[in-house]
Amino acid sequence: MIQLFQVYKNFGSKNPALLDINLTVKKGEFVFITGPSGAGKTTLLKIIFCAEKPTSGNALVDGRNLNRIKDRELALLRRRIGVIFQDFKLLPRRNVFENVALALEIMGFPFYMIRKKVHQTLRYLGLANKEGYYPPQLSGGEQQRVAIARAIVNNPLILLADEPTGNLDPDLTMEIMALLKEIHIKGTTVLVATHSQELLKDTTRRIITLNKGRIV
Amino acid sequence: MKITIFHYFIRQAMVNIFENRLVHLIGIGTMSIAFLIFYTFILIFVNLNYWTEEQGRSLTMSIYFKGEPDRVLIENIEKELFLFPGVTIKGFVSKDDAMKSLRRKLGDKAGLLDGLKENPLPASLEIILSRDKGGDSLPYQLKTKLEKIDTVDEVQYSQEWIRRFQTVMEAIKIVGMIFGGLLFLAALFIITNTIKLTIYSRKEEIEILKLVGATNRFVKIPFMIEGSIQGFLGGAVALIILFLVYIIVITRIDIRIGFASLDIVFLSPQFILFLLFISVIIGFIGSTISLGRFFRT
Ligand SMILES: Nc1ncnc2c1ncn2[C@@H]1O[C@H](COP(=O)(O)OP(=O)(O)OP(=O)(O)O)[C@@H](O)[C@H]1O
Ligand SMILES: [Mg+2]
Repeated sequence: MIQLFQVYKNFGSKNPALLDINLTVKKGEFVFITGPSGAGKTTLLKIIFCAEKPTSGNALVDGRNLNRIKDRELALLRRRIGVIFQDFKLLPRRNVFENVALALEIMGFPFYMIRKKVHQTLRYLGLANKEGYYPPQLSGGEQQRVAIARAIVNNPLILLADEPTGNLDPDLTMEIMALLKEIHIKGTTVLVATHSQELLKDTTRRIITLNKGRIV
Repeated sequence: MKITIFHYFIRQAMVNIFENRLVHLIGIGTMSIAFLIFYTFILIFVNLNYWTEEQGRSLTMSIYFKGEPDRVLIENIEKELFLFPGVTIKGFVSKDDAMKSLRRKLGDKAGLLDGLKENPLPASLEIILSRDKGGDSLPYQLKTKLEKIDTVDEVQYSQEWIRRFQTVMEAIKIVGMIFGGLLFLAALFIITNTIKLTIYSRKEEIEILKLVGATNRFVKIPFMIEGSIQGFLGGAVALIILFLVYIIVITRIDIRIGFASLDIVFLSPQFILFLLFISVIIGFIGSTISLGRFFRT
């Protein structure tokens, strides 16, 4: 599903953000990516959904080489990758409903289906009563849940979650982790980047640890 | 499926316009000024062109008499004129008729004429000559012939003048095309910049849209609609202003060129549709240019 070969990413400073990353994630896996702040977790995820191109090396996602992908193919690929961004990337001028609906609108779903799926997802994340709110009117945790809703509303093939519980209290954290598990059980390949040791405490799942851009 | 996307595009374009309404207002304002200048020019040109063509095809000849001619003389002249192909008698205008028509034209100021002891206006016979049937030399031929008659004072026609005018029209046409081209470029420039501003005001949004899998086309279409709407509004505002000016000013004054009265007509509905279509196209091209620049970088 995801394969990285000798991926380097250098943003121009003397220390590259990623060094010689070789990584294979199989379909249906649940993987944690961990490491201290600045280790390159976000950069790694960005490479996978092609927000950044590797400086050298190759990245294959769902059989496509991201170095050679065309604009249109990339758009189609991204529709199958749900991303929960560390900084949420919500549209401030669109309300909660519209933000989540976006992921379906770009795919051209009919409105009644969009409404149904968005309602369902928002209810699932305990945001049913916030539909009409705009992101700046929401707490950090609520914004994070909207970002999660947008990432999962179209049942993606791959889910990339960058610190999905970073702004949540322990109870909500547990709930979100249960949710990610559920999505995983339904067949989605899940990658969760986190520096929280708490999340990893008694997990039996695969853990990839990054340090200064290297897998350790 | 199609309908949802279409709604989405229209709604997005409207939201864009609303959120950047000041930029749009200024854009539409300046653009409609550019269009208005050009449309005014077209209106004048179309009318002059129509008029010269009308006049070029036929011309009015006035045969002025000394004093008040008797009916027999006029009938004789008319009989003789009928022998020439392409001559139509428009009618006889007696001294009184001429005075009445002058009073009518002067309207409020007709009082000026009250002081006159006698009617200075000559009686005339008005005829129309068709150039197609009568040929180019007919007016001069008739003039010389008629002016030999004792009671005929003078024969006037406007041919020479119109000929000269037609060459002027050609010159005006060329100047107009250059000028119009420049104004359209200006309109294009205005739209390109307005849309550029709205694109930049949505820079982050575009980025996010692309990250969640929107195609370039999906991102671009609302801006194209936005540009087209702006072009349409700019063109429509200009046409409305021009029409109002036409109604208020032009229909109230009597414009004369030489001694022929010029009836100003407004642009035909087909031509209006054509101009609106052009302004929409300009809007579309303008936004496409901005988008091209934005997406290339
Ligand atoms: N766009 C960029 N331009 C320049 N440097 C960058 C850019 N993005 C990331 N970096 C650098 O790359 C390194 C890795 O950053 P990254 O965001 O991947 O870390 P991270 O592991 O996600 O950290 P955190 O846990 O704080 O989110 C950092 O040193 C950062 O400064
Ligand atoms: Mg990060």
